[in-house]
Amino acid sequence: MKTPTKGPVFLRFLIVSLFVFYMLLPIVATYLFSLATRWDRSIMPEGYTWEAYQTAFNLSYFRITLKNSLILSIASCLVSFIIIVPTVYLTQINFRKFRPLLDLLMIIPFAIPTVVLALSYVRVYTFQPITRSPFLLIMATVVYTMPFMYRSVSNSVDAVDISVLTEASQSLGGDLWNTLTKVIMPNIYPGILSGMLLVFATVFADFTLAKLITGAHFKTFPMLLVEQTQIDGNVAAALSVISFTLAWGISMVLLWFSSKASKSKKAQPSDKAYIGK
Amino acid sequence: MAKYRREQKKNFLKKIVGLFPFIIFCLAFEFVPIFILVRDSFSLKSGDLTLQHYQSAFEPTYLKGFWNSIKLSGVTALIGTFLGAGIGYQIFKWPNKKIQSTLITLSDVTTNFAGAPLAFGFIIILGSAGVVTKFLLNTFHWKIYPDFSIYSFTGLILTYVYFQLPLMVLLIIPAFSGLRQDWREAAQNLGANKMEYWRNVGIPILMPSMIAGYMLLFANAFGAYATAFTLTGLRLPLITMQIGSAISGEVMREQGHGQALAVISLLIMGACIAIYQMGTNKARKWSGH
Repeated sequence: MKTPTKGPVFLRFLIVSLFVFYMLLPIVATYLFSLATRWDRSIMPEGYTWEAYQTAFNLSYFRITLKNSLILSIASCLVSFIIIVPTVYLTQINFRKFRPLLDLLMIIPFAIPTVVLALSYVRVYTFQPITRSPFLLIMATVVYTMPFMYRSVSNSVDAVDISVLTEASQSLGGDLWNTLTKVIMPNIYPGILSGMLLVFATVFADFTLAKLITGAHFKTFPMLLVEQTQIDGNVAAALSVISFTLAWGISMVLLWFSSKASKSKKAQPSDKAYIGK
Repeated sequence: MAKYRREQKKNFLKKIVGLFPFIIFCLAFEFVPIFILVRDSFSLKSGDLTLQHYQSAFEPTYLKGFWNSIKLSGVTALIGTFLGAGIGYQIFKWPNKKIQSTLITLSDVTTNFAGAPLAFGFIIILGSAGVVTKFLLNTFHWKIYPDFSIYSFTGLILTYVYFQLPLMVLLIIPAFSGLRQDWREAAQNLGANKMEYWRNVGIPILMPSMIAGYMLLFANAFGAYATAFTLTGLRLPLITMQIGSAISGEVMREQGHGQALAVISLLIMGACIAIYQMGTNKARKWSGH
C-alpha cells in the first residue's frame, strides 16, 4: 500500500468542504433570516426575535393550510397503503410471473411531469363534485408517490419468504384477511412504514399539484409559503423552517429505519428525485 | 373435468378480484387521463383529427419554453453529474467512516430542501436585497446587480444545481462500492497503471451509472415547477410554466395546444426515465447487487 500524499488529501478536504458549504448555506440563511431583526448591514443578523413565528401563527390561513396539508398527506398515505400493499402481496402469491409488469406499471408515474398529470386531471374530470376537488388532489398525489411507496413495500416483500408465511397461515386456517393483517403485515411493516413516511413528506411539500388542481379552493401549506415570499420575507422564512424541519425529522427517522433494515431493504436514491420540485 | 375447470375458473376469479382496486385506480387516475390527453392533443372541438395543436406547439413562444427547459435541464444535469460524481468519489474515499456517513446523511437530508423553500433560501442570500448582495455592496461597494440576478437563467442554474448535486452523490456512491478491489488488483497484476485501470476498467463499469444519473437529473430538472415558479414567476418561460398557464386558463385559446405541449414533455421525460432504467439495470448486473 502506498501512503496517500498530502496533495490529494488537501484537495479532497477542499472539495468536500465547498460542497458542505454550498449545501448548508441556503438552509442556514433561512433559519437565521426567520429569527433576524435586521440583517442588511452586517454579515450576521443584528439581533434575534421570535416575531416572524408569531406573525406566521397568527396568519388567518396558517391553521387552515396546515390542517389541509396534514389531511392531504395522511389521506394520501392511507390510500397509497390500501392500493399498494394488498396488490404487491397478491401479485407475489398468485401472479409471480407478472411481478416485472407490476414493476413497470409502478415506475410509469416517474415519467409523468406533475404539470402534465395536473393538466390531464383538470381536463378529464370536469364534472361536479369531482372537478378540482381535494379528492382529485389526493388521487394525484397517490399516483405521483406510487413509485417509492411501491419500491419500499416490494423490497420488504422480497426480503421475507412470503409464500412460506402464507402457507403456514393457511394451514392454521387463516383466511386471506387474517393472513394479510396478522401474518404478512407484521413481517413487512418496516417497508410499509418507511414508504408511508416518504409519501407523507413528499405530499406535505407538494406545491405544484395542489396549486394546479385545487388552487385557492383548497389552500395548502406550501401555497401559503409561496404567497408569503411576495408579502413578508421573515414570515416566509419562518414557514420554510417549519416545513423543512418536519421533512428533516421524517428523513432522520427514515435513515434510522434503513440503518436497522438489511441492505436490500434500503430505499433507492432515485426515490428522492422530484420531491417538492 | 368440466367441474374441475369451472372450479379453476372460480379460483382464478377469486385471485384476480383482489387486484381490482389497483387496476381500477390505475385506469381511472393514470391511463384514462393520459389517454384522453393524447387524444385531445390530436382532435378539434368538433372531434375531427388534426395536427393543428402540434403546429401551435412549435410557435416561437413555446419553442422558447422548450428550449429554456432543455437548456436548463441539460446544463444542470451535466454539472450535477460530473461534480456530483467527483464529490461522491471524494466522500466514498473518505478515511473516517463516521464523517463519511455524516456526509451521506447531509446529502440525503438536503434533497428535502427543494421547491419554494429552496428558491426562497437563495433569494435571502442573493436576491436584490439579499444578505450577500447587501454585504458586498456595503463592504466592498461591489454592486452585483444588475449584472447578476438570482431571478434569471443563471440564478435558476445555481438553484437547480443545489438539488442535483446531492442526488447524484447518493446515486453514484453505490456505483463506486460496486468497483471491486480484486478488479483493480487484477488490472495491476496485468501491468496496468492507474490511468489504464480507469480507462479500461473503472470508467466502463461506471458508465451505465453515470448515464443513468444524467438522465434522472435531466428528468428531475425538466419536470420541476415549484422552484422556478417561486424564483422567476412567469417571467422566464419554461415549458412546465407554460403548461401550468394552460391549466389555469391564463392563456385563452382553442383547448388542445396545452395537451400537445404536455404530450411532447411526456415523451421527453419518458425517454429519460427509460434510459435511466436501462442504465440502472445494467449497472446492477455488473456490480452484482
